Amino acid sequence: MVRQATWLASGGSVLDILSIPVAWYLVGPAMGLTVAGLYAVTNKHLGVSGAYVQAVDWARGRPVESWRLWFLAGTVAGAALVAMLGGSPQFGLGYGRLGELLPLPALVGVLFIGGILIGFGARWAGACTSGHGLTGCSTRSPGSMVAVMTFMVTAVAVTFLLRVITGGDL
Amino acid sequence: MRQGVYLLFGLAFGFLFAAAGLNQYDVIHQMLLLENFDPFLIMGSAVATALPILWLLERRGWRSPLGGPLELRRWAIERRHLYGGVVFGTGWAITGACPGTLSTTLGAGSLLGLPMVAGVLLGIALRDTIAERTLRTSTAPVRQTADTTPAAQ
Repeated sequence: MVRQATWLASGGSVLDILSIPVAWYLVGPAMGLTVAGLYAVTNKHLGVSGAYVQAVDWARGRPVESWRLWFLAGTVAGAALVAMLGGSPQFGLGYGRLGELLPLPALVGVLFIGGILIGFGARWAGACTSGHGLTGCSTRSPGSMVAVMTFMVTAVAVTFLLRVITGGDL
Repeated sequence: MRQGVYLLFGLAFGFLFAAAGLNQYDVIHQMLLLENFDPFLIMGSAVATALPILWLLERRGWRSPLGGPLELRRWAIERRHLYGGVVFGTGWAITGACPGTLSTTLGAGSLLGLPMVAGVLLGIALRDTIAERTLRTSTAPVRQTADTTPAAQ
């Protein structure tokens, strides 16, 4: 039990039959089928940030689109399945390069503030990388394409800016 | 039954997301440094798969078994897509995370998803509060002038 926990913590998996990352040409088309399949079966527009909007609405006593919360619960389970089959490099308190660079309290603060920007921006733009990026582009939504171009360019620019600010450490 | 369908689609999405490593900071960070193009290829091939299917279904007047006639959602271009995109893109670059990352990072046992989830919920609530306030202040003066000075407008 303890040995298994330390093995998991080091990024190993219970079964180790799935090698992460799975190739893009398998994941991408399968993701496309998920997007098209959800529309074909339920007439719903796949998007993740909407689920968090429902949580906020629920806290304010407003009506909630419950399907989004079921979908979100599914994504948690799907990722847990991957962690069991193929491991989880960020298990516990790992956070890749950013985790190596920042002490834990600073990391928590940075992630919290970053989270505020993600939530604020996704709500403002109406959707995120999934609702605009995957599904909105697939329905040929003009507003989605503008949002995607904007956040892609911004994110690349800010990433390079962070690299300069940290003297190339990040 | 319906809930199970949504759960299954979520499971497929979360599985693929995590299997591609998109719930890891380093993968997204290297993508945004333009050192790893796999996430771009995933997005591109996903859209290249879904777009023709949805186009065909729409053209055929497809009726979804659980949600009635297929209606693909589209949005006209507005300023909010730019403003929101800039704020979102900044948060994405700092954390290497998007909303899809949050639940899949938690599902994979990464505790640092928690401060991000808290931030995202606060960010959404903040945006909603500001949107409601601007709505109120932009409509309130109109009502006031109509009440006090009937000649206005």
